[in-house]
Amino acid sequence: MIGEVDLFGVFFPAVLPLAVLAFVSSLIMRVILRRVGFYRFIWHAGLFDTALYLVTLCAFVLATRSVTP
Amino acid sequence: MRTMQKATFAIANTCAVLAALYVAFAANLERPYWAMFSVFVIAKPISGAVRSKATFRLTGTLVGAAMAVFLVPPLVQAPALLCLAVSIWVGLCVYCSVLDRTPRSYAFMLAGYTVAIVGFSVVNTPESVFDTAVARVEEIGLGIICGAVAHSVIFPQSVTDELKERIKTLVRSCAQWIADLPPQPCHLVDLLAQRRFATAVTESHLLYTHVAFETSDAPRARLLMRTLEERIAVLLPRASAVQRNLAALSAVGAKPAALTSLIAQVSRWAHALVREGKCSAGAMREQSELQQQCAAALKRLDCSPPGWPVLLEQSAIVELSELTQALADCSRLAAALEEPNPRLPVALEKTAKRSGSRALSADRGLGLLSGIAAACATLIACVLWIGGSWPEGLVAAQFAAIGASLFAALDNPAEPILPAVAGILLALPFAALYEFALFPRIHGFPSLALVLSPALLLFSFMQTFRRLEGTALVLAIAFSGALALAPSYQADFASFLNTNAAEIVGLLLAGVAILALRTVDPLWNARRLSRAGWQSLSRLARHPRPSFERWLIQMFDRLGLIAVRLVGTKRESTALREIDALQDLRVGLGIDALRKVGTSPGAANGTTTQALLEAIARAYEERLRGARDRASAAVAQHIDTEIAAVCAQPPSATRHAALAALTSLRLELLPNRAPHAALGRPA
Repeated sequence: MIGEVDLFGVFFPAVLPLAVLAFVSSLIMRVILRRVGFYRFIWHAGLFDTALYLVTLCAFVLATRSVTP
Repeated sequence: MRTMQKATFAIANTCAVLAALYVAFAANLERPYWAMFSVFVIAKPISGAVRSKATFRLTGTLVGAAMAVFLVPPLVQAPALLCLAVSIWVGLCVYCSVLDRTPRSYAFMLAGYTVAIVGFSVVNTPESVFDTAVARVEEIGLGIICGAVAHSVIFPQSVTDELKERIKTLVRSCAQWIADLPPQPCHLVDLLAQRRFATAVTESHLLYTHVAFETSDAPRARLLMRTLEERIAVLLPRASAVQRNLAALSAVGAKPAALTSLIAQVSRWAHALVREGKCSAGAMREQSELQQQCAAALKRLDCSPPGWPVLLEQSAIVELSELTQALADCSRLAAALEEPNPRLPVALEKTAKRSGSRALSADRGLGLLSGIAAACATLIACVLWIGGSWPEGLVAAQFAAIGASLFAALDNPAEPILPAVAGILLALPFAALYEFALFPRIHGFPSLALVLSPALLLFSFMQTFRRLEGTALVLAIAFSGALALAPSYQADFASFLNTNAAEIVGLLLAGVAILALRTVDPLWNARRLSRAGWQSLSRLARHPRPSFERWLIQMFDRLGLIAVRLVGTKRESTALREIDALQDLRVGLGIDALRKVGTSPGAANGTTTQALLEAIARAYEERLRGARDRASAAVAQHIDTEIAAVCAQPPSATRHAALAALTSLRLELLPNRAPHAALGRPA
C-alpha cells in the first residue's frame, strides 16, 4: 500500500481509492444489515458504522498488500 | 435541547476541530485553518444533519475545485474575462441552489463559491492552481470527515426524535384547529393557519431528508412521511370547503339541519382526538360511525326535491366526510411513525404508491434574481480589487461570492448580515489576543490544543443557541481565518487588519447587491406565486400526469409561501382579493374528484368531463391574462349543464362524488350567482 496509483497522469496514494472503495462497500453492507434488522442488537450505531468502515478498509489494505509489493 | 446535550455537542465539536488540526499539521497541509472552520460549518446538533451537510459540502467542493482548474489557466492572461467567468458561474450555482430548496442546495452553493476562493487566490501564481485546488479539497475533506465522525460517534443525537415530536404536535394542532373550526371563513385566521400548517409540513419534509444520512439504526419511512404530508395538505382545503358551503347556504337562506348536527359530531370527535393525544381504537371506531352517518345523510337528501340548497348541503357533507377521513389518516400515520419499525397502514398503501417523489415548488423568478445579485456582487468586488489595485481585494471578492451564496435562499437577506459583521468584529480581538499574545509563547501541538480549547468550546456552545448560531459560526470562521494557523508562525499586523477589512467589505457588497436586486414587495411576490399556482392548475386540468398527489403537495407548499408573504402585509388592496391559494387547492381537489369519477366504470359521462376540464384549463389561462370573469362564466355554463345531466342519473356513490365536485367547482368559479336555468328550479 506504499505505492501510488496513476489516474490520468495524476498520482494518488494507493490507500485513497481503497478508502473510497471501502466506504462504498460499507455503505452497501449497512443497507443490507438494516434490511435484515441487525441494528436492533447494536447499542451505538454510529460507533458500529465507523468500526465497520475501518474493518473493511483494513481488510482491503491487507488483501491488496499481497498483490502490490 | 437540554444543557447536557449542548455541552456534549460542544465537546464533540472541539474534539473534531483538534483532530482536524492535528492531522493537518502532521500531514503538513498548506492551510490547516480551512480544515478547522470546515468542522464549524458542518456542525449541527443532529448527527444526520451533520452527515448530510458533510456529503453535500464535499461534493460541492470537488465540483468547484475542478471548475477552478478548468477556468483559471486559459483565462489568467485576461483578468477581466476571468472575473466575468467566475461571477457568472457563481450566479448560475446560486440560481440552481435557490431552485432546489432542500439541504442539497448547499452542494450547488459550494460548487459556486469554491471557484471564487480557489480561482481568485491563484491569479498571481496561476501555475499553482492545481495545488491550491487539491489543498482546498484535502483540507475541507479532512475537516468534514473529522466533524462527521466525531458527531456520529460522540453522543450522537438522532433526527428521528425531533421529527416524531414535530409530527405529533402538528397533527394535534390540526385536530385542534378542526375541532374549533368557525362556521364562517375569516381571512386573517385562515392565513395564519395556512402559514402555520404549510410551513410546518415543509419543515418536517426538510427534516426528513436528513434521515437518509442518519446512522443505520434510524428507521426509514419515506412512503409514510410522504403520505402524511399529502393527507395534511388535504385538511385545509376540505375544511374551508365546508365553511364555504355553509356560507353559501346561509346566503340563500337555507337551514341545513343534517349538516349542522354532523359538523357538531365531527368537532366532538376531533376534540376527543386532541384529548387522547394518540389514535386509539375507540376514536377510529367513532370515525367509521361518522362516515356511515355521512353516507346515510346523503341518502336522505337524495329523497328531498333537487335544488341548489340540497346540492350545497350534499357537497358539504361529502367534504366533511373526506375531512374526517383525512384527519383520521393523519393520526393513524403519526402513530405508525412512533413505532420502531414504521409500516404504512394497509388502507393507505395504494395512495402512497401513486404519489411519486415529492418536489417542493421551485421559484424560477426568485432564483434568477438571486443569481444575478450574486454575480453582480462578485463582479463589483472584482472591479474594486483590480480597478483599485487593492491587493487584499481578492479576499473581498471571495467573501462577496460566499456571502451572496449563503444569503441567497433567505427571505430577508439583510437579517444575517448584522450577526455576520458582528461575528467578524468580535473575532478580531480574540484572534489578536491569540496571535500576538499567546502564540509567540507556545511550542508544539499539545500546548496549541490546550490554548485553543477554551475558545473552541465557547464557539461550539454558542452554536447550539438558535439566536447566537449565525454569529457563532461567523465568529468561528473569522477567528480561524484570522489566525491563519500555518505550520510556521508569522505575524504581520498590517495585512491582518487589511484582510479583515476586506472580508467585511465583501460581505457588505453581497448584502447590498441582494438588498438592491432581491428585495421585492411581498405582495407582488405573493401575486407572482399565486400566478404560478394558476399555471400549474391549468396544467393539472389538462394533463393527468404528473400525479395529482404531487401537484397537491407542491401547491400546499406554495400556499405556505404565499401565506407567509400575505401575513406580513398590512395593506388592503384589490390585488389581495385576487390571491386565494386555498381556493386554487379546492379547485384542484374538485378536478381530481371529477377525473376519478370520469374514469370509474359506472360513469357514462367521460367525454363531457374531458370537455369540462379543458374549459377549466382555459379559464385559468384567461385568468393569467387578466380576463377573469368572462372565462369563469363560460365554465359555469358548462358546469350547469353537467350538473343537470348528473342529476338525471339514479342515486349512487359516484353520483354523489360527481355532484359534490361539480358544486364545489361551480361555487369557486362563479360564487356570486346561483345556477338556475339548468336546475329547473331557480334558487
